[in-house]
Amino acid sequence: MFYISIFLQYMSQYIKTKLQYRTDLFVEFLSDLMFQGVNLIFILVVFGHTQFLNGWTRDEIIFIYGFFLVPFALFASFFNIWDFNERYIVRGEMDRVLTRPVHSLFQIVLERMELESLLGGITGLIVMGYAASRLHLTFHWYDVILFVLFVLGGTFVYAGIFISLASISFWSDARSSIMPMMYNIGNYGRYPVDIYNRVIRYILTWILPFAFVGVYPAAYFLRKTEWYTYSFLTPVMGVICFTLSLLLWNAGVKRYRGAGN
Amino acid sequence: MAKYIEMIRMRFLMMLAYRTNYYSGIFIYSINIGAYYFLWSAIYGGQPSIQGMTVEQMTTYVAIAWMARAFYFNNIDREIAMEIREGKVAIELIRPYNYLMMKTMQGLGEGIFRFIFFSLPGMLIVTFVFSLHFTTNVQTWSYFALSTVLSFIINSQINLLAGMVTFFTLNGEGLLRAKRFIIDLFSGLILPISFYPQWAQSVMHYLPFQAISYIPSMIFTESFTRDEAVKGMMFQAVWCVVLIVPIYLLWKAAKRKLIIQGG
Amino acid sequence: MYAIEVEKLRKEFKSYSSRSGLAGAFRDLFTRNYKIVRAVDDISFTVKQGEMVGYIGENGAGKSTTIKMLTGILTPTSGRVVVNGMNPHKERERFVQTIGVVFGQRSQLWWDIAVQESFRLLKKVYRVSDQAYNEHMDHVIETLDIGPLLDKPVRKLSLGQRMRCELAAALIHNPPLLFLDEPTIGLDVLVKLKIRQFLKEINEKYNTTILLTTHDMTDIEALCERVIMLDEGKIIYDGSLQHLKQNWGEGRQIHFQFRDMVSKEELTSLVPVTWEQGEDRYNWIAHVLTHDMAHVIGKIVSSYELKDIHIREVSTEEIISNIYEEGIHHG
Repeated sequence: MFYISIFLQYMSQYIKTKLQYRTDLFVEFLSDLMFQGVNLIFILVVFGHTQFLNGWTRDEIIFIYGFFLVPFALFASFFNIWDFNERYIVRGEMDRVLTRPVHSLFQIVLERMELESLLGGITGLIVMGYAASRLHLTFHWYDVILFVLFVLGGTFVYAGIFISLASISFWSDARSSIMPMMYNIGNYGRYPVDIYNRVIRYILTWILPFAFVGVYPAAYFLRKTEWYTYSFLTPVMGVICFTLSLLLWNAGVKRYRGAGN
Repeated sequence: MAKYIEMIRMRFLMMLAYRTNYYSGIFIYSINIGAYYFLWSAIYGGQPSIQGMTVEQMTTYVAIAWMARAFYFNNIDREIAMEIREGKVAIELIRPYNYLMMKTMQGLGEGIFRFIFFSLPGMLIVTFVFSLHFTTNVQTWSYFALSTVLSFIINSQINLLAGMVTFFTLNGEGLLRAKRFIIDLFSGLILPISFYPQWAQSVMHYLPFQAISYIPSMIFTESFTRDEAVKGMMFQAVWCVVLIVPIYLLWKAAKRKLIIQGG
Repeated sequence: MYAIEVEKLRKEFKSYSSRSGLAGAFRDLFTRNYKIVRAVDDISFTVKQGEMVGYIGENGAGKSTTIKMLTGILTPTSGRVVVNGMNPHKERERFVQTIGVVFGQRSQLWWDIAVQESFRLLKKVYRVSDQAYNEHMDHVIETLDIGPLLDKPVRKLSLGQRMRCELAAALIHNPPLLFLDEPTIGLDVLVKLKIRQFLKEINEKYNTTILLTTHDMTDIEALCERVIMLDEGKIIYDGSLQHLKQNWGEGRQIHFQFRDMVSKEELTSLVPVTWEQGEDRYNWIAHVLTHDMAHVIGKIVSSYELKDIHIREVSTEEIISNIYEEGIHHG
């Protein structure tokens, strides 16, 4: 309850601040749209030269991409702490965070939230809608609940991976370029994992489980029964990833060295 | 000249100091290339060639495009934007060197570093894992080397331009992000230019972006004939020269603004 | 009941050193040299509720590290810390509710939003009721004279204005213990005076314990009866400021301006104290103890013709720097 009220308080501050810089907001929306566009263009261009991707049609691939955009948008809005090392460790902002009576990660999530990224989720829904109508997909009432569950699962998988990466900063003060590269890897979960070889499929499923953000949950709505087990594992993976990352974070905070020493 | 070489060396040493980057960096680049390798293999399916490129050429194209990227890629646009925001550029102006040249040299130091620590070992790993086609033709290699140097210059020039533009706009971050997407898409890094529809190709022919990734990668995979390769490098060289003009003008305007506003 | 209890507190850091040159850098890739640096070396002290303590030391003496352990930011390597009856890093979230922290060089406030919005946020964060907030903060805002600043964004405030707001922000939950790390750094004299006045007031009114680190000895003199002095991670002095001054700063400097030239030998044979030449041989400075003062002046006046005499007290600043330079000799 306390955390919800804090969250709302931060959110209202955030919106007030953002409205001061309206042009910035517009540019950010635009660059987000471009990011989504780049990937869509890739898919469209590629399917200009082929009919199937290992048995998956163009519209199925587009549907997966649309689905992926929704948890990704949630992740980008709340857990996008790629500059944690620079901002909180190197500049010592972590000191301030640790003197406040709220969990440190929660504070950082609140301070770094970028609600404008939620727009990507809407883009995702539109893309999915387009693909679904071309595929003549039908949905049940409970699919909505599953959709919410799968989206949250995917969001927490992403969040868990990035929180874990941020936690590394507590052990190593080196500036790391892992974060931006991880975004690239995150993209592979958007394609059907059966196109990859076993090693990469294994990595994307169990080590950096990005497949649970895109193809696995989306396969359920595409009625690919052979993937259902993985689809329903999505929320479980989300919980596991997030819990592990929290443990790592808490262990890291104990190791925190402070800035400027 | 000595001071610029010193600049390259300094940045190289600086990169070396951050050691956790390399091990993970190579691993991640390899995964990156690997994923594209499989993606393209799946895209080809049974087709022997698309747009005149075999699947082998295509996967080699992807691998070399990413490895070359490690060399030409740098963040000097962001650095310039940050130094402008924090008012450091004003201090840099009174130092006895050309600020833009210095930034480029720092980028080169970074590039050389990544070339040695990312590209070479990364390439070695990737060739072991995937079946790539590397030519033994010395001429192709030397063309490729020259072309990659040119692509470094053009990419740096575009970065300098983007960095300086943030001086005149309010939101630099969004602009730089947009620039990155444009480069990803139109440089040929994720898709060879020849895959695009004809109309898009003809538009891109008037833009410098394909000089960054498409031309060197096509040369390397021998998807270009010798004539096409020479023409490609001419295209790069012309853009290298042409881009100097807007850089010069923008820098003049930026300096004027700096003097008036004091950064 | 102690506000702070510290026993054999120690903090060690691993400090990496890089080898020189290109070849050295390559070797650093694989193995790196490091040594263990003891930033805080088995220190023990206690602070009573309501005390104002000055925590002083040169840069790198371990001040900040201690403060960070006391505030729960850093985990100690060994030793015992009990602050407000709690272990700071173990029960961090509950603990920080009972302390206020001001880092002079780092803002607690949100850069882009108005000061009062920051206050409102912190009020939520510290779960302060409307009633308690109004009662307490109205007074704080009035005393610090920041009422007119409340609707301005922090980035538009001057350093002095910001610092006063920072102080108010640290007191929103009216903590019984306040840590101030360089609170007056870079401020002009008037703002310093106002801040000191305010700190005294809340100390009297709420019996707030204050631990203060600063480079400005006038802060300490104005506020603290007790100082803890740190050098290379160890406490070298813990006691009253008065005592410190009596032992190390009891002396006075008497500046004589003679009508004629005199030599050091002459003066020393007449009055055997430390003589130091001023700008020329007409000017001499005697370093004497307070109770010898009358005697020295009497002797000189009766033997020489003088143009002028000044008597100067040794400043705390000088005492402290003397201690650091010479170590502790007497006292």
